[in-house]
Amino acid sequence: MEEKIGVYVCECGPNIADNVHIDRVLDAVSGLEGVVVAKRHKLLCSEDGKKFLKQNIEEHGLTHLVIAACSPKLHELTFMNVCEEAGLNPYLFQLANIREQCAWIVEDKEEATEKAIRYTRAAVSRIRYHTPLEKKEIESNPDVLVIGGGIAGIEASLLLASKDRKVYLVEKTSSIGGMAKEFKQLFPKMEPTSNILEQKVQDVLKNENIEAFTDTKVEEVLGFFGNFVVKVKKKTETEENEFKVGAVVVTTGLNLFDPTKLSRYGYGTLSDVYTALEFERMNTKGKILLKNGNPPKSVGIIHCVGREEKGYCSRVCCLYSIKFARYLKAEIPVVNISQFYSDLCVPGKSYQRFYEETKEEGVDFIRAQDIEVTESNGQMSVNYKIESRKPKTEHRNVDMVILAPAIESSGDSSEIAETLNIHQGDEGFFTEEHEKLGPVSTSLEGVFIAGCAQGPKSIPDSIVQAEAVAGRILSSLIPGRKLEPEVKISEISDAFCIGCKTCISVCPYSAIVFDEIKRISVVNEVLCRGCGNCSAACPSGAASHKHFTFRQVYQEVMEALR
Amino acid sequence: MKGEFTPKIVGFLCNWCSYAGADLAGTSKLKMPPSVSSIRVMCSGRVDPVLVATAFLRGADGVLVAGCHPGDCHYEKGNYYARRRFAILKKVMETLGLESERLRLSWVSASEGPRFQEVITEFTEKIKKLGPNPVKEKTSL
Ligand SMILES: Cc1cc2nc3c(=O)[nH]c(=O)nc-3n(C[C@H](O)[C@H](O)[C@H](O)COP(=O)(O)OP(=O)(O)OC[C@H]3O[C@@H](n4cnc5c(N)ncnc54)[C@H](O)[C@@H]3O)c2cc1C
Ligand code: SF4
Ligand code: SF4
Ligand code: SF4
Ligand code: FES
Repeated sequence: MEEKIGVYVCECGPNIADNVHIDRVLDAVSGLEGVVVAKRHKLLCSEDGKKFLKQNIEEHGLTHLVIAACSPKLHELTFMNVCEEAGLNPYLFQLANIREQCAWIVEDKEEATEKAIRYTRAAVSRIRYHTPLEKKEIESNPDVLVIGGGIAGIEASLLLASKDRKVYLVEKTSSIGGMAKEFKQLFPKMEPTSNILEQKVQDVLKNENIEAFTDTKVEEVLGFFGNFVVKVKKKTETEENEFKVGAVVVTTGLNLFDPTKLSRYGYGTLSDVYTALEFERMNTKGKILLKNGNPPKSVGIIHCVGREEKGYCSRVCCLYSIKFARYLKAEIPVVNISQFYSDLCVPGKSYQRFYEETKEEGVDFIRAQDIEVTESNGQMSVNYKIESRKPKTEHRNVDMVILAPAIESSGDSSEIAETLNIHQGDEGFFTEEHEKLGPVSTSLEGVFIAGCAQGPKSIPDSIVQAEAVAGRILSSLIPGRKLEPEVKISEISDAFCIGCKTCISVCPYSAIVFDEIKRISVVNEVLCRGCGNCSAACPSGAASHKHFTFRQVYQEVMEALR
Repeated sequence: MKGEFTPKIVGFLCNWCSYAGADLAGTSKLKMPPSVSSIRVMCSGRVDPVLVATAFLRGADGVLVAGCHPGDCHYEKGNYYARRRFAILKKVMETLGLESERLRLSWVSASEGPRFQEVITEFTEKIKKLGPNPVKEKTSL
């Protein structure tokens, strides 16, 4: 078919016309090959202008449309819609920016006119190589993958399921509940953990909208908001399970700092030194006893173990250390308890009182530095320095030591970050999109974080974040809403691809797979976002970026050099 | 003004940051030399080094590749790839007898209109000092 290119130059009122000789632009392009009409208009984006364009497309039977006007960032879509209405494929249109990047920045009218000519010629030159591209619509999936079955994951799952979303809850251990299922009671009210947790766990297991996988890990997540394809694998099985979701929630929780890294606390070398978690377990399972079978007479609880090494405060250690004093007093009323802290962190409306009431029960709080646990002749003691004008060294004899180690992110965090393509901060926790504007979303649209996966926090704070995530998902991922994937994506030519896989290594979205049978790379049209990286990297010219093909951009370069 | 050397510079601008920064310079009416012809690409990582080399062989006096600041690429890593590719291309240029300063990589965000003006003005001055592309003669046989 003979090409019929129409060129329309916009005056934009005085905005362009004042600094560009429009007629000279028209003269310069009207003789070009394929150009059948070149006209000016006062305001192309006005209703009148759009009607004018539509009429012209129809009257001249235009096959291609070039407009020289403002930035494509402003009106490309406007004119693409005009094309559609006039029955012209909107990708057979090109907009030359002679306003923002020409008339407005070049002082001299002569020079601005020449530049406008160059830009308009470039658009004409390029458009001959345009091909029509078709828009696609795909269904969005309203279902959700939740990774990690602690309190945060449970809460998010329940809320989402209550709105009839199908939730896939993936937990790597043999049961859901997370760290909290090890605790007998919770600060500050000292209510039994089971009051809160057990009911929720039962609700999850009974809920028909929630499919809970235990002993399972996520192997692969591909795709984007509304369309993720997930593969999970159970420890005991060889086969993978595959399903589709629209959003992903990461609630992989916490780990504890390993105190063997700091030999001064005697952990692993002295017999009655426990971590906080070991102490919780001892208390939950039965009686608080020393290794020799007797109840402790004097207990030292050491806060902030690893805080200096990690470089942050873990927010809940002071509080659970106070909780431990309650556990001890409840079981062994005569026990002596000394808490060694560096800064006491009891923020919030009810925690200060919790601390004061515990103190009144006869618990010593000692602000100490350079803490060290030693043993001589079967007697353990905590040695420390007191900060004052004349620093003093003191010690207390104890028969049990409990360490409150810093909270770290889950040991699987880097693996998860890699699988999902989300970021971890220097501290190891997942990074939120924005501290204030996007505190539970991540840099990847459709992937959310809640609970200790985001940073150290208490159960109530973890629940708040889980509820926020559910709100974000329910309000943005609407069942039945169609998604329009990017049209200007890359494609790979079977004939030219040499199978070097360079493109695969540079694609930020894992959108290219290798066809082992044909020995070539293939672009997944749904996953490709059209960045064009693969086509810049491909050594054989096989990968081509639609609408920004080598040829199309080459034409623009050549016009720039005329 | 006759006889003065007006350089021809090709400017590849990434859609999300630098092209928007250039538009902002326009809406703020910041004046700059007309020497740079901008070409919109989706990402600085889309800029094919072969195309840049072609531009030089066809007589470009300078090529500017502008993208988002490191860490801000709309496609996460495109600008890192661009940086790597063009570091290599600069070495190749030297062996061809082209000063590597004729290729410039700059980071300009969508809110940096004045910076865009600065980059264009400075780069144009630089190329004027270097003079016309020395391989143009050879390849125009
Ligand atoms: C000793 C101690 C006592 C505490 N006491 C209290 C208290 O009394 N009151 C209070 O409010 N807070 C307390 N906390 C804080 C509380 O533990 C946390 O706020 C809470 O556990 C956070 O819940 P979460 O769901 O974010 O993480 P977690 O409870 O850690 O749950 C994360 C879940 O994800 C799973 N997981 C991890 N990686 C993967 C993976 N790759 N794939 C699948 N699943 C994975 C884990 O197995 C786990 O089940 C205490 C903390 C400690 C250390
Ligand atoms: S299309 Fe752009 S250049 Fe033309 S009148 Fe509208 S805003 Fe001005
Ligand atoms: S254009 Fe290429 S590199 Fe970019 S997302 Fe698509 S396939 Fe990946
Ligand atoms: S880089 Fe090009 S040649 Fe190599 S595998 Fe990808 S498409 Fe094929
Ligand atoms: S989108 Fe701007 S550099 Fe990649």
